[in-house]
Amino acid sequence: MHFILDQEDEHFRQEVRAFLKGNLPADLAGRNRRGYHPLREDIRQWTKILNRQGWSGANWPKHWGGTGWSPVRQFIFDEECILAGAPPVDTAGFKMIGPVIMTFGSEAMKQEYGPRILNGDVYWGQGFSEPNAGSDLGSLSTRADRVGDEYVINGRKIWTSFVETAEMIFVLVKTDPEARQRGISMILVDREAPGVTIRPIHDIGESHSLNEVFFDDVRVPVTNLVGEEGKGWTYAKFLLENERAFSAEWPRNNANLARLRKFLNLKQADGQRLIDRPGFASRLAQLETDLLALRWLTLRALHEKAGGQSRLPVGSLLKIRGSELLQKIGELQVEALGCYASYVYPDPLGDATLEETWAPGPDYAPGIMADYFYRRATTIYGGANEVQRTIIARSFLEL
Amino acid sequence: MDFQLNEEQSMLQDSVRRFMEDNCAFDKRASVVDKGSFDSSHWQQMADLGLLGLTVPEEFGGMNCSAVESALVMEEIGRVLCVEPYWAVAVLAAQTLIATRDAKAAPLLQALCLGEVLPVLAHEEAEARGNTARVQTRATAIAGDRWHLNGEKVAVVAGNVAELLIVSARTSGNQDDEQGISLFLVDPKAPGVERRDVRLIDNRWASHIYLHDVEVSQKNLLGVAGLGLAALRHGIEQATVALCAEAVGVMERSLWITRDYLKIRKQFGQLLGDFQSLQHRMSEMLIELELSRGMLHYALSSLDKGSAERARALSAAKAHIGKSGHFVCGQSIQLHGGIGVTEEYVIGHYFKRMTLINSALGSSMHHFEQLAAQERSAVA
Repeated sequence: MHFILDQEDEHFRQEVRAFLKGNLPADLAGRNRRGYHPLREDIRQWTKILNRQGWSGANWPKHWGGTGWSPVRQFIFDEECILAGAPPVDTAGFKMIGPVIMTFGSEAMKQEYGPRILNGDVYWGQGFSEPNAGSDLGSLSTRADRVGDEYVINGRKIWTSFVETAEMIFVLVKTDPEARQRGISMILVDREAPGVTIRPIHDIGESHSLNEVFFDDVRVPVTNLVGEEGKGWTYAKFLLENERAFSAEWPRNNANLARLRKFLNLKQADGQRLIDRPGFASRLAQLETDLLALRWLTLRALHEKAGGQSRLPVGSLLKIRGSELLQKIGELQVEALGCYASYVYPDPLGDATLEETWAPGPDYAPGIMADYFYRRATTIYGGANEVQRTIIARSFLEL
Repeated sequence: MDFQLNEEQSMLQDSVRRFMEDNCAFDKRASVVDKGSFDSSHWQQMADLGLLGLTVPEEFGGMNCSAVESALVMEEIGRVLCVEPYWAVAVLAAQTLIATRDAKAAPLLQALCLGEVLPVLAHEEAEARGNTARVQTRATAIAGDRWHLNGEKVAVVAGNVAELLIVSARTSGNQDDEQGISLFLVDPKAPGVERRDVRLIDNRWASHIYLHDVEVSQKNLLGVAGLGLAALRHGIEQATVALCAEAVGVMERSLWITRDYLKIRKQFGQLLGDFQSLQHRMSEMLIELELSRGMLHYALSSLDKGSAERARALSAAKAHIGKSGHFVCGQSIQLHGGIGVTEEYVIGHYFKRMTLINSALGSSMHHFEQLAAQERSAVA
């Protein structure tokens, strides 16, 4: 056991910073520093810039066309990108379905989607949850019936983020309605296939990222089955477990706290800084401490040796505290906004002229409340925190 | 970075665990507590195992190990609730002595490693509350190179068995000045030293010490007059990390004892462990334990960093661990129910130890205040 930082990792951080300075367009960074959802076009543009550098597949091994970076470097990369205001890459593609396809998919599937994901040319929607199967995925009821060389899909998915701009959807379906988890398969569906209908769901932040997706006799070729029939559950668990060290969303928490610290240090109209008020300083110190604790638990998870992973369900631990911290940072941001927390600043969706119609307020106000309300979902998505606590109790504490 | 123990570290952990469980476990300690929470045969064994001089440089007869190894020992001490003064002597006093860089410290350290002398630091004062520079004890110059010490030192752990006191006193300056603090070696039997031995709430023993015109000379001075704060800070930083490590051991054991109890105790016709509210509480306790372990790692990583970063890391670690430890050990009592508050049963003693770990060297509240002050003075 030792805690000496790898010098080469520090050099890597400098290299990432220099790259971001030279290659991240200012308009992209400006939009992403606010709390609104990133624009599809920004994500595409940024993914292409990264891909030219060979860096879009930060979490992919070299033989998939990725960077082959260690988990620690992926983490440093995420940290620097978010601090600089870069948009994310398509999480569903790079971190979810991509690794599943590249690990379990057919050769043809890998050839078809791997390079397109890396270049930002295909964007994915995740079809897991259903109206009657939220955290309890095992009870999903969307079904795929095999008819000749096709599956016929019927059912309904919900909370499918950004699917309105996606080309493809990966869905968990029942191929054997009698079996519970063993009857689940993963199938790729073209968003524009006949029978796919999308209904937007507006979240309480008055922005749109969530959707409901209806499947009515949607026909897809059997070659769109990922891996084997009945293994969908295994693949879903694989993609969640794969990212366990990242489940605290530490870089996001870090960037949000840094932004909050900046606001608290600004001189208000009365010449005072909010940080000079004991309540703000004390809450900020507590959030900073929470952030540091989360950082060091994340670092431990990142340094787990392949094959030597501890039994500790660290992904669940990190998910619980990381999601809570995003909300707590948001709460202090609301406090800091004061009266400007009450104004609606509509999402300009990339149209800068709309920003001119915004209500008065400090430059940092727009976007904060949208983000604050949206973040109520953090403790729900990815398996509600209560479900995570049950996982910890059962799997590790053996209760 | 590597979060796994290497072979030597695993061996050290194993041997310390065996020693602690065989000699210092809760069910064996009653007679030791009655004797002032010190057992000379245990102490000699710790010397023989190389534990007393674990972090002392080889030139003074120690093992020259790092704070990581010291933390491993402290975790084991926490697990069994060992009441013997390893922390006070082998960490706090030893590290302060090393940092004085005074030739007089060398033979003392050699004797300390062998278990032949018990020096302790008499620094804490009632109003300090974690502020290391708060020294009101006065060293008033009298004729020549001699001083008279006057003041009151509180909760000097192992003062009851100490053979030598390292007393901090002001040779100049006002109560919070960083300059003007000097360290003196004082014989506890010297005229003017009045010692009140007190049993602490966690069953360790300490002394409340009054100094009335205690005469010291240049021969008693450690380091340079007026420049003692640096050595104190070093000793206290190392001792803070050690306390954090002990807390992790305390929390971990407290959690697993509670888990085991939930698997045997039945109420309402079912095992306590089958109640989801209790399962979720246990999960929260595990999260706090593992975050605390993360903070221990952060604290350890900061020891070779600059003073500002070290101060931030140690305050963050101490603040977080104090809070988490209170939660974990408090909920351990809660989940046990009535048996948890009985003196006879072990679980309440984890809570008591955690209470004192929190208050030692600045409580959680003090360290949050420090962090808040740093936030205010930093330019974002």
